[in-house]
Amino acid sequence: MNAIEVNHLRRVYRAQIGVFNRSIKEVVAVDDISFEVKQGELFGLLGPNGAGKTTTVKMLTTLLIPSAGSATVAGVDVVKGANEVRKKIGFIFGGERGLYWRLSGDDNLRYFASLYGVDPSVSKKRIPYLMELVGLKGRGNERVGGYSRGMKQRLHVARTLLHDPDILFLDEPTIGLDPVGAREFRNVILDLQSQKKTILLTTHYMFEADALSDRIAIINKGCVIAMDTPSGLKKHVSDLSVVEVETFGASETALEKLRALPFVDSLSIEDREQKQILLVQTTRGAEAVPDVMTALEGQRVGRVIVREPTLEDAYVRLVGGAA
Amino acid sequence: MNYSNLFKYWRTVLTVAEMSLRTQFSEGFVIFAIIFQPMIIAILAMFMLKDKGGDYAMFVVVGSGLTGLWSSLLFVSGNSINVERWTGTLESLVGMPTPFEVIVFGKNLANVVQSLLSMVSSYTLAAVLFGYSLTLTQPLLFFITLFISMFAFICFGLTIAPIFIMYRSVQQWENAMEFPVYIICGFLFPIALLPEWTTPISYLLPPYWAATALHGTSTAMMPLNQVLFSWAMMIIFSLVDLVIASQLFKIMLYKARVDATLDVD
Repeated sequence: MNAIEVNHLRRVYRAQIGVFNRSIKEVVAVDDISFEVKQGELFGLLGPNGAGKTTTVKMLTTLLIPSAGSATVAGVDVVKGANEVRKKIGFIFGGERGLYWRLSGDDNLRYFASLYGVDPSVSKKRIPYLMELVGLKGRGNERVGGYSRGMKQRLHVARTLLHDPDILFLDEPTIGLDPVGAREFRNVILDLQSQKKTILLTTHYMFEADALSDRIAIINKGCVIAMDTPSGLKKHVSDLSVVEVETFGASETALEKLRALPFVDSLSIEDREQKQILLVQTTRGAEAVPDVMTALEGQRVGRVIVREPTLEDAYVRLVGGAA
Repeated sequence: MNYSNLFKYWRTVLTVAEMSLRTQFSEGFVIFAIIFQPMIIAILAMFMLKDKGGDYAMFVVVGSGLTGLWSSLLFVSGNSINVERWTGTLESLVGMPTPFEVIVFGKNLANVVQSLLSMVSSYTLAAVLFGYSLTLTQPLLFFITLFISMFAFICFGLTIAPIFIMYRSVQQWENAMEFPVYIICGFLFPIALLPEWTTPISYLLPPYWAATALHGTSTAMMPLNQVLFSWAMMIIFSLVDLVIASQLFKIMLYKARVDATLDVD
């Protein structure tokens, strides 16, 4: 039996607009998504903002009713057996929200343990164990309001493990964390993976998905556009190389020239403070560099490197440069 | 529902109540709603009734305590659902295996316990500031009535909470719901002063029976059969409220999951 099965899931949001001339506006967040997650697998869900990742997770965690399609978690239908599903899962939505800031870390866990139906004698032992697991040992008596963002995220993990669920949904759990905090958090996820937990992870960070996931589904505009292992996804761009060019205020005309080159498969731009990194995907490898430099003539250019494609490059190609 | 579940839920209710009390006592508005607002109402009422003598002081103390009880349930319980929504904890609570009505019951219990402070603050005010000598005419019956009233208020509050889950903007209507209950349930003056057509409405509201019995056992010698009748009415209405609330929670939570109103996004 698969831990999670999703069949043609669809979710439409309806919003009322206008005051006098009222009308209903429909937004399709998830159009048609199907996938399965095996027991003990870490399954990554990747996609740009608004692709439908969080909506999918919310439907699977019983917090939203699907508009169409069906899904089972631990063999139980997420709509008909919502309460059964809730006993078997844990979930985290990224960010600092979802905790009681006026209570201490320990009290937050005691509260949620009670709501998960954990016996007080069990939670008394489990809370210190979990606080240690997530690196918050000795901080349990402090108010959550005084915790750093990373500490709050880690408390979320402890919260979600209180009833020792077999299936975890982690929706962008490292969003907003500093690099050290994010690395520590990934270690916690790896630890959970070693305990054979089934994990559905959504993230924006490609290296994170690459390092952690057994399989990845890339979703865009509410549909799955690719699903494979990280190495399988990279094969989508095995014919490509990436020319990375550091520029300082490259003009739109120069970028248009670059895009127009016949050997440029796609161009994406990463803004890093005052500079931009142009990521040119090309089939010509290092031979493309002179033409790229010609297209950027008159622009302030820094470092130029040619490298092998990563999962991010596969993602960019599949999503069509929308990231 | 089996007995082990009932025991587990009762334990959860107590934990929710404890955590709610801890959280809310750090909020200034809660202190205002449960201590200062009833004191202000008590001062106004005592000035209005001062020519009627000390006998009315206990009526005012109990009445202003009831206003605190109702305000606390309406504002604190209602607002707490919206606060949970804004802080992102509403989704966590709904996503728990514990039925949401059990969680709200715990929150209401905390609010009712808190609002007993309203009665204590009004009592202190009447005794110290106005120098009234305050004694309960039927103390045992009064305290039993108080216990049943707390249960009735909690259950009545449960029928209101689902509306807050479904409609984010219902908060705007809280003020409109506050004073009519003060008046129609006879918290501060007998309902005999109201037009006759309002009486059946009063009879349908559990706070009316709570007010009748609490006033009757604190300021007069209410006949036992009338006290028992009020208790019976409160218990019957509480059970009806529990049935209505469980259905409303089911409907409203399903609708909130359809309409995506559990979060602010």
